[in-house]
Amino acid sequence: MSLLEIKNLTVEYVLRKSVVHAVNNISLNVDAGKTLGLVGETGAGKTTTALSIMGLLPHPPAKVQSGEILFEGQDLLKMKEHDLENIRGNKISMIFQDPMTALNPVLTVGEQIAETFHLHGNYSRAEAEKESLKMLEMVGIRPERSTEYPHQFSGGMKQRVVIAMALACKPQLLIADEPTTALDVTIQAQVLELMNDLKVTFNTAMLLITHDLGIVAETCDDVAIIYAGQLVEYGSIEQIFDNPLHPYTIGLFGSIPSLDEDVERLKPIPGLMPDPANLPVGCKFCTRCSRAVKQCEEAEPEYLEVEPGHFVRCNRIGGTDNG
Amino acid sequence: MGEILRVEKLSKFFDTPSGSLHAVENVSFSIEQGKTLGVVGESGCGKSTLGRTVLKLIEPTGGKIFFQGKDITNISKKENRALRKDMQIIFQDPFSSLNPRLNVADLIADPLKTFKEHNKKEIEEIVFEMMDLVGLSRRYAYSYPHELDGGRRQRIGIARALALDPKFIVCDEPVSSLDVSIQAQILNLLQDLQEQKRLTYIFVTHDLSVVKHISDDILVMYVGAMVEKCPSKELFAHPLHPYTKGLLSAIPIPNIHHEKVKVKLQGELSSPIEPPDECRFVKRCPYATDICRCKMPDYEEVLPNHFVSCHNCKNINNL
Amino acid sequence: MVMFNTKKRRRKMEMAGVQFTKSNSRFGDIAARMLRNKLGMVGLIIIVVLLILVIFAPLFTKYPYFEQSFPDRFLYPNAEHILGTDNFGRDLWSRMLYGGRISLLVSLVALVMSNVVGIIIGAVSGYFGGAVDEIINRILDILMSIPSMLMAIAVAAALGAGPVKTSIAIAVTGMPYGARLVRSSVLALKGNEFIEAARATGSSNLRIIFKHVLPNTLAPIIVNATLNIGSNIMAISGLSFVGLGVQPPTPEWGSILSAGREFIRDFPPIVIFPALFIGLTIFAINILGDALRDALDPRLKD
Repeated sequence: MSLLEIKNLTVEYVLRKSVVHAVNNISLNVDAGKTLGLVGETGAGKTTTALSIMGLLPHPPAKVQSGEILFEGQDLLKMKEHDLENIRGNKISMIFQDPMTALNPVLTVGEQIAETFHLHGNYSRAEAEKESLKMLEMVGIRPERSTEYPHQFSGGMKQRVVIAMALACKPQLLIADEPTTALDVTIQAQVLELMNDLKVTFNTAMLLITHDLGIVAETCDDVAIIYAGQLVEYGSIEQIFDNPLHPYTIGLFGSIPSLDEDVERLKPIPGLMPDPANLPVGCKFCTRCSRAVKQCEEAEPEYLEVEPGHFVRCNRIGGTDNG
Repeated sequence: MGEILRVEKLSKFFDTPSGSLHAVENVSFSIEQGKTLGVVGESGCGKSTLGRTVLKLIEPTGGKIFFQGKDITNISKKENRALRKDMQIIFQDPFSSLNPRLNVADLIADPLKTFKEHNKKEIEEIVFEMMDLVGLSRRYAYSYPHELDGGRRQRIGIARALALDPKFIVCDEPVSSLDVSIQAQILNLLQDLQEQKRLTYIFVTHDLSVVKHISDDILVMYVGAMVEKCPSKELFAHPLHPYTKGLLSAIPIPNIHHEKVKVKLQGELSSPIEPPDECRFVKRCPYATDICRCKMPDYEEVLPNHFVSCHNCKNINNL
Repeated sequence: MVMFNTKKRRRKMEMAGVQFTKSNSRFGDIAARMLRNKLGMVGLIIIVVLLILVIFAPLFTKYPYFEQSFPDRFLYPNAEHILGTDNFGRDLWSRMLYGGRISLLVSLVALVMSNVVGIIIGAVSGYFGGAVDEIINRILDILMSIPSMLMAIAVAAALGAGPVKTSIAIAVTGMPYGARLVRSSVLALKGNEFIEAARATGSSNLRIIFKHVLPNTLAPIIVNATLNIGSNIMAISGLSFVGLGVQPPTPEWGSILSAGREFIRDFPPIVIFPALFIGLTIFAINILGDALRDALDPRLKD
């Protein structure tokens, strides 16, 4: 059994005049100790998925229409708020994109980490403080700095503190929503390495949300590509990177300027993501797809397993038509 | 092709309560017409300040700027205004760089109206011509920026910069806030425009794969100082400065079979406020020696067309 | 600023393949949005009706506002005197309408004066910063440190009585607050890249202030202005009370209200009616201001 199993999750934002289909029928699995990369563009539904796992969706307007989120076999969506609070920060924790706003400016970083221990770990104040020093050391910050305030830290250091807080209770699942987007490349490399090391040390499962395929290549075991609220391709990292099948995935790879080869012109995906309040009837990607045929506009493609563990949602792949 | 812009020992210091902030120090380079100079560096390295100083949107503290052979370092207000027709800028944030109260047509027309050289009808024609040029459908002429997505908004910013028919454009992280698929569209557009109009770009960015794709030459900056400058391919094939090496190996490559030699950079950027006379990179440099701690390195042409500021460059690279 | 709004040009462009969205002319668009806002229209109608009544007061009144008639003191509203009479037997309806001339006009003029000056000073101070900002701010500090009533009295005493002078006195006291508000909005706006973009395209400072900065600070300006109208009406009566506003028997809403205080138990209409007029004016200006603020903001377009 997987640590986290999302089954057919559908989330909508019900607005005054329209219904935004943010997440449509998504199913994901994250195993203990593994990292799943959730890749997609702005507005594809990545963060909505993450927030529904944490039970932090703004309600209203967000509404989970159907689906299950099983964590260790228990459905998080049916759980009482009080039980969820025990799981949040304890068994599942989350790192947000912006480390600048994730820390309380009037508490020292040591106090903030100790707070997490105190709340979830049944530690006394003194023990919590000791543990927080250990945690800081683990993320590469000298323990003397625990008495400093967040503004005395640089961006990369703050993100380390945030990671230390998230890992304080040794969660089984870590959800990282664009954890390095706000950081510089050399700092990003340090933070990614740190997260990889900690994953090995604590056997933590991770759901890494990102738009950067480079980061995925360096950190993930499995990849899910999400487009307009739907999974369009899902598989192991080798399957996705060596044999991308969905035109959107292929388009994403074509859009990134390569460092290895010289390309005169990029091959961008034409057009824009459809308005999530007004999605096409058939394949959600058909408006931008160079291989779209009439069938794509009419019928939503099935989500097929083309090889063991490799799923694709496309009419033109597998089945009868193998164009 | 002639040289269009030359910068000699350009510096810009800002006064802050805690001392003088050396945003740009002793930067020199030249660009030929129709070429692109990429300026890369991490946040706070002074790359945006460099772009704005070259444009004379910020007054330089020291050094000289020559545009089309003319010294523009100390020109009158009037000449500076006239310069706007030749030098333009495209901004990073397509949300804050457009006045929310103006519609698309008025936004693109704004620079033209400032110069009062065209009548209404001509302005209208130019606006539509620009919209066609940047691939913005004419039906958006009366839309407001908030009604459009990031990619289209960035196209408005580009059209506005092109309206005065400039020769030289500073692109300040023009694709950083866009999604990859849209980013590629905008990069292609910028390349097409360069070819059509023989534009010269300074392309400021922190994204090395983007800069490699679009630039002829690349200038690497670190805490206000220039570190390395050479043709784009050369930089990626043979980086000479230890910082450049670390920077290049820190980029995540979207290829799972890519085996790279990791040159890990420890620590973080030093402060640009009242920096001591030492190599700016010395605290993170694995090869630092005594001389690095007591003198800022000069900028030398180590290999033909390959400039590096490093005391130990030859030793490190066995040259 | 309005560019493409003539019908002829529009037709030409439609032929050229331009599809028009709802908004193609700025003024037309603002007016249309204004008309759609029902509450705002109610406010506008109230203000217009009040202004007509007040400006053409002689047409709507039977009695001069100063005519006293002792037998007719303290009459409740009746067919002869629709709002009744006051303690001197003067017709309240006449006094309300003539009084509105001072109250409405002086407070509106003061409002416009204090905001125009405040906006300019605030915009200059916020936009240029540095020494200019420092000097302007210290002067505003001095003005704000004097209690506003005292300030108004001082200015009015220096200038003398009379509607225009009263307006100026009131405008001077309100100006610093408006200026501070505009300054802070400008400071927040200044960091936006579109201001820098305007500079990069060669716009003069004046053009940047009027085209790019001020239109984006309208919301707080309008809210502040509409909130001030009530305090302006009261300030006029304050000045009149110390003999620096308008002289009796010239009526004015605030003075009628305060003069009626002693009769509030025995004869409420003398207080109720001026209060009603003042309240109605404040209410109407407020909803009109909100509607205007929304209509001027293209982001709120439906």
